[in-house]
Amino acid sequence: MESDSQLVARAQGGDQQAFAELVRRYSALVFRLAVSILGREFVPEAEDVAQEVFLKVHHAIESFRGEAEFSSWIYRITFNQAVNLKARVRFRSPHADETVLYRAVTPEPGPDRQAETAQRDQALAECIRTLPDVYQSALRLYYWLGAGVGEVAVLLGVPENTAKSYLHRARQLLHGMLKEKGCSCD
Amino acid sequence: MTEMEPREAGIDSLLQRSMAAPVPSLPPDFDQRLMRELRQGSQALDRYRRILLTGYGLTSVVASAVVMRGQGLDWGAIAVMILGPLALVAAVPWGRRTIHTTMRHSAK
Repeated sequence: MESDSQLVARAQGGDQQAFAELVRRYSALVFRLAVSILGREFVPEAEDVAQEVFLKVHHAIESFRGEAEFSSWIYRITFNQAVNLKARVRFRSPHADETVLYRAVTPEPGPDRQAETAQRDQALAECIRTLPDVYQSALRLYYWLGAGVGEVAVLLGVPENTAKSYLHRARQLLHGMLKEKGCSCD
Repeated sequence: MTEMEPREAGIDSLLQRSMAAPVPSLPPDFDQRLMRELRQGSQALDRYRRILLTGYGLTSVVASAVVMRGQGLDWGAIAVMILGPLALVAAVPWGRRTIHTTMRHSAK
């Protein structure tokens, strides 16, 4: 199998098949990173981000000098693109609230318990949205998209210990925020 | 799994429960659609570049001919002065290709 750098060199020479192979290798990962930054309400936007990222990469591939790994480069572009889009759509009403999506996949408990759970999930979703982008992304990758700490680290372009500390710090912050809102974490 | 303080365990299980939702994925034809869009985009750009270059070339040929005619040169000299450099531009890549091929053959 050809390495990324070989494919990049071929793509820089105008080989469209080499670029198509890079798209095949990275499209799912780019989408996962984008959706982890944007959240569950913005899945169609994450698809747009993935498309924009590859258009940008195609446009700029000739200027890529290989000083960093191709993967780090494309994840950095994805992160910036998703964060920019998030800033633009922040004040727009989402397609559906994260808690609505949650309720769609969980069994129905009694009405009181259901209301309490919904309230706590709503509070949790609100707290998550106030965290820094890297913490939000790390949490969604780990808890929603089932990524391991290693994958979180690779996608966010940080060492594994830093990814672990993002998760640790995010949990601590959420614990404090939920406590302030009077919600129990147990 | 990350190391966890006891007070983190509660928020960990809450996150696991609360964030359990179907994992989205890209449509299966995403790669093909993207490559199609890239091909169409670069074809449009190539066409645009060609039109721009042709327009620029024609304008400069006409302007040069008018200026040279204004200086009193006859049409034969004007044609040589315009077509000569064009022929040279066309001949350079052909010459380079020929030299490259000859050198490759002699290396074998």
